[in-house]
Amino acid sequence: MLSDMESDGGTMDRSAAAAELAALDADRAALAERVVQPWWYDALLGLLVAGFVSSYSTRNSWVILGALVVLLLGLRGLMAVYRRITGMWVNGLRPGPTRRATRVWFVLYAVVLGAAAVFEYGLEIRGAMVVGGVVLGVAIAAISQWWARIYVAELRGEL
Amino acid sequence: MTAVQPRFDAVVHMPPRLQVCGLLAAVDDMDFALVREQVGVSDSVLSKHVKQLEEAGYVTVRKSTRASRVRTNLALTATGRSAFDAHVAELRRITGA
Repeated sequence: MLSDMESDGGTMDRSAAAAELAALDADRAALAERVVQPWWYDALLGLLVAGFVSSYSTRNSWVILGALVVLLLGLRGLMAVYRRITGMWVNGLRPGPTRRATRVWFVLYAVVLGAAAVFEYGLEIRGAMVVGGVVLGVAIAAISQWWARIYVAELRGEL
Repeated sequence: MTAVQPRFDAVVHMPPRLQVCGLLAAVDDMDFALVREQVGVSDSVLSKHVKQLEEAGYVTVRKSTRASRVRTNLALTATGRSAFDAHVAELRRITGA
């Protein structure tokens, strides 16, 4: 049928096009089986974030700098581990439905960090940044799992 | 968000290349070995198709050495992503999906 033909040298009928779309969907669904990170990945991510934010309670620039170095090296290590386990890398800030989870993380991070800083430095309540760090550590671990579930659903075409 | 203009792409169209683009479109980058496993072709066949995608500017190939092993990573370029999205839009147009 002419309406089903395409220019630029390509010709394809409706059934061939449907078969190609189905094959693409099947590939994405197969990919969904291997993209989810293990639980300890999120636990380590949470510990790194909690450790870094908590370091502000020491009010010692060297300790905070050290915690930042540990955070950056840890994130790099987690990235390498994810690549090794799954054979791929997916940017957490990628466009699409997973943006819901990243937006929640950034808003939560700003609110909790701001509140903890006000208590720690404004009201002189020592240890407030530790509490903030723990809250953010638990939050990033949970949000990372949520992010992965959204990504899997997207790959399976469930969204 | 602007709608993707359907456009048949002869480079993307070939089944192994369409599969490769489909896999890479879902990630930032992917090991050559994983792409080969998912697509189900030999090293040489995949290399040939990756080369064609690379020459079209659709895929980048990055080699790195980890633990004295050379690993090859494939990633879709912005041009490749646009071409793939347009091709998929064309397939949907044909099927009426």
